Amino acid sequence: MSEPLSRRDLLHNVARGSVLATLSGGALFLVQKAHGQVVWQVDAARCINSRLGDTGAEACKLCTTECVVALSAVRAVNEYAKCGRCNICPAYFNITSAVDEKGLPSEKLCPRDAIARKPIGKADPEDPANNFYEYVIDEEKCDGCGKCVMKCKEPLGLGSIVLRVRYDRCVGCNRCAISRACPKDALMQIPVEEALRPPEIRPSTE
Amino acid sequence: MEYRQIRVIGGKGSVPSQFTNSLRGLAVDTHGQLHAAGDSEIKVFDAAGRLKRRWSTARPVHSVAVAGDGAVYAGEERQIEIFDGTGKLVNSWRDENLLGRVTAIGFVKDGVLAGDATDRAIRHFDHDGKLRNNIGKDNPVHGLLIPNGVVDFAVDAQGVIHAANPGKHRVERYLPNGALLGHIGRFHGTDPAGFGGCCNPTNVAVGDRIYVTEKAGPRAKVYDFTGVLQAVIASAPFHPNCKNMSVAVDARGAVYIADTVQLVIFVFEPVTL
Repeated sequence: MSEPLSRRDLLHNVARGSVLATLSGGALFLVQKAHGQVVWQVDAARCINSRLGDTGAEACKLCTTECVVALSAVRAVNEYAKCGRCNICPAYFNITSAVDEKGLPSEKLCPRDAIARKPIGKADPEDPANNFYEYVIDEEKCDGCGKCVMKCKEPLGLGSIVLRVRYDRCVGCNRCAISRACPKDALMQIPVEEALRPPEIRPSTE
Repeated sequence: MEYRQIRVIGGKGSVPSQFTNSLRGLAVDTHGQLHAAGDSEIKVFDAAGRLKRRWSTARPVHSVAVAGDGAVYAGEERQIEIFDGTGKLVNSWRDENLLGRVTAIGFVKDGVLAGDATDRAIRHFDHDGKLRNNIGKDNPVHGLLIPNGVVDFAVDAQGVIHAANPGKHRVERYLPNGALLGHIGRFHGTDPAGFGGCCNPTNVAVGDRIYVTEKAGPRAKVYDFTGVLQAVIASAPFHPNCKNMSVAVDARGAVYIADTVQLVIFVFEPVTL
């Protein structure tokens, strides 16, 4: 068992950019919760959209349809340290759509256009493949449908995009409606201290 | 052009001809013997798939290559071990900076090439292990684009290096001095002639043609040197979660492909119509 974190430790964690990058406004919400309380979170190793072994299956959309919050409290998050920053990202593009004149897929994958793509550093105008790209998920648009998560997982991608409960949006039902519907029991209750531990450090994009 | 599966070698298990946890590299020597790098061992199979000998490596092995004189090079983390044909260790090259994870080894007239996946580059050493130059780093992204985590390349009969650059969906051609000559390949998500997904092809071998493997979904293909697809060798037998499937080709055109999940080597030969 890990040592319980003091309030000072919690604040220190929150101060870290990595926490802010991965938890957004939810971090401050968590600090306000009492020590020992629990919150709901998605276990990526159980979620059908992110766990290895379900290649080719359709994305499960229950996080979108079952949450009692109007636009689900579950959103996709890109863990940047794992992201391959690929020119052709299967979570951003519909990779089976027609190829355009630049050699890229002509359609995006996200039905809500919630992922933004931009070159890291100076793009090579002669050869766009000569570049890394950053993919940022717009939380305000994402509804947690899981399509990008399904396409990002190994071996097609690197599994950097996962579904996460956003704590500032979750209303903390005693029995989460998504958890009741989830066929893989992927919605788990975890201690606040665990929720505050940053999963990844966001790397520099320079 | 068509291929048929003729043999299966290895498998997951604990008998000497099998692999326990990993199967990462393949190479065929001038006598048609298959060398397989897996776990912390080199296994040598004859052309019929019978295990002839095996020996341990100091660290988990990521790649294997056989030089013209029969010396067997094993690529590991931060080192290359060099064995004679019987498995006796004759030398080790260690370098914390120039040898990260060595996922491919090859030979040119004046030296030895090592694919360093940690630095996304190919190192060109002289025969004593002294660095001559890097290959694949002189570009805006300072290396090969390998989200899959493996540098793989092969050297043709003219000494030209064919390197997989999966992030660019290409196989690039380099001279040993690092000069980029050109490439074959383009992205396409549905046309078998293209390379799909985020990053393909992952592995490459060269004989009379260019042989590649892809991930998600896994398949093996063959191209001529101008980049025209000659055949899809196979896709069905490979585990769907396979990636970084090492490929080797022998003098008769038989193609050996490592299934990295089932830990099996599939052997295919061209069908003569």
